[in-house]
Amino acid sequence: MNNAENLRLATELLIHEGRLLDQRDWSAWLALYAADAVYWVPAWRNEGEETADPEREVSLIYHPQRVGLEERVMRVRSRLSVTTLPLPRTTHFVSNVALVPRCGETIGAQASWMVQIYEPRTSLQRVHFGHCEVTLARVEQRWEITHKTIHLQNDCVAAVLDFYLL
Amino acid sequence: MTFAAAPTLNPQNFIDDRPHDGVFRVRHDAFLNTALFDLEMTRIFESTWVFVGLESDLARPHDFVTTQIGRVPILLTRAGDGTLRGLINSCRHRGTLLCPLRKGNQRVHVCHYHGWQYSSAGRNLGITGAAAGQYPANFVDDTHDLLSVARIASYRGFIFASLCDAVPTLEEHLGEARIFLDLIADQGPNGLEYVPGTVSYTFDANWKFQFENGLDFYHFAATHSSFVQILRQRPPPPLPPDLPTDLQDPDPQAQGSYSFPYGHAVTWSVGIPGQGAERRPLPRDPTLFAQVRARHGATRTKWLLRQRNLTIFPNLQIVDIQSLQLRVWQPLAVDKTRMVSNCLAPIGENNAARSFRIRQYEEFFNPSGLATADDNIMYAFCQAGYAGATRGAGSQGYARGLGERPAQQRHDAAELGLRDPDWAYGTLEFGDESCFHAGHREWLRLMSRGS
Repeated sequence: MNNAENLRLATELLIHEGRLLDQRDWSAWLALYAADAVYWVPAWRNEGEETADPEREVSLIYHPQRVGLEERVMRVRSRLSVTTLPLPRTTHFVSNVALVPRCGETIGAQASWMVQIYEPRTSLQRVHFGHCEVTLARVEQRWEITHKTIHLQNDCVAAVLDFYLL
Repeated sequence: MTFAAAPTLNPQNFIDDRPHDGVFRVRHDAFLNTALFDLEMTRIFESTWVFVGLESDLARPHDFVTTQIGRVPILLTRAGDGTLRGLINSCRHRGTLLCPLRKGNQRVHVCHYHGWQYSSAGRNLGITGAAAGQYPANFVDDTHDLLSVARIASYRGFIFASLCDAVPTLEEHLGEARIFLDLIADQGPNGLEYVPGTVSYTFDANWKFQFENGLDFYHFAATHSSFVQILRQRPPPPLPPDLPTDLQDPDPQAQGSYSFPYGHAVTWSVGIPGQGAERRPLPRDPTLFAQVRARHGATRTKWLLRQRNLTIFPNLQIVDIQSLQLRVWQPLAVDKTRMVSNCLAPIGENNAARSFRIRQYEEFFNPSGLATADDNIMYAFCQAGYAGATRGAGSQGYARGLGERPAQQRHDAAELGLRDPDWAYGTLEFGDESCFHAGHREWLRLMSRGS
């Protein structure tokens, strides 16, 4: 496959992922990830540097397997967590997608992202934004996310940070 | 008694404290009143000892961190001579914020406005163009060093400072709550450090909800039911083969609390077998844990491994449960609070224990964790609910533990060397609320003291 095709694939997948989150189609969203996918949101060491080693440094979210994301979805679905009563409405944006060299049969891409968030209970609006890197691997006829690193720039968040707000 | 409909700002009107009648109430307005909030800044945060940092975060000469005491910006340094300095982070010239960075190492701090220079001890090293400045004699004679906090002292690596001189020594202020800081510090034979990656976040509610909730075991099952559900459906995670096998607490399952003068309190529990010490990071580094045991003996080690939530009034909580969290709050407004959270760990901890400690910390704490996020929203629910119909009444949330105490005489206090603590004790479902009282009593003492 050529680079143009890979870029198109990665862009479409990132757009699709954001739409699934906006539509609260959690099952379809989870299905984008491989069972052993790494989902990582580093914390910040200081004003300019993020943490780089999840084994020796704190992350905001670090799930080395998809089961961590499945648990978060279970929590949202349970309606037991006040963070979801009510769920915020979100609109995900993704842009500036570019390929990152990867070896083997995978596609690497980086992008800029933004999520506009609206809290129905308080009418408050906020925004999360940053960059991300994603690795896609082909499984039969489809591409799965095997690694996603989400860099959150505005890390002093208001009360809640979860997968649907990233 | 019913509260007056419109209290004046007399702090006495906000707390109804009659323990012998089984009554303790805090008026809801104490969480809503903006004038009272301003008074809290002056009379509490800017008038008593507050936690400002960890000594290991200022290990080398000229290390610095910036923080806040109440509304006052603070530059905390280790000077060239190794002493800790609590400087007001404001240039003497025009009052400009001197150091805009969170942390670092600098011998000299230069104000970027007009170039005045200060040493890491706060001494003025130079006034730009002093000779040509046509300064009057009184200016030349004046000191131009940075202003300092009134008091700074540290206990077992925990640094506290006060902007007000009229405070007891730190030792007296902490009192026997020191024993519970010891139980934290003793976990690091080589000292404790922040794991890199400070997390800060805000919630839309009064700081006192955090103060209370950090001592509140009662909320856990309801507020965190989605987290409990996740834990229940997980297959039991395997225990590492080198984990000591004698970690089971010999005492019956229980919950208790101790309260101390100056507003400090701690809640503790002996949990269900299998969910206690085995799930704590400390024993996961066998070498370090052996050192801790050898140094402190069986009884103190038993206490080290129990779950404990410690509050040092007015701004510090150390949550020693499945990981070890140190968090402070900075009140921003009557209904907005900023939290700063760090994972604490023994210096020199092995990779397995460190990684386990970090995962346990991330899973539970911070806005991205599966429990703290619920708390943050719950505080906002409280802030919204307090403004409702019950506004003139006192809260019913301070009564658990105020009734008749269980007859059983506990030996815990003696084990820890506590002399005559204010205590509460019950089953794992106890959920004591009387441990909130000490903080509110200290609130009242400080608020009534004047500025």
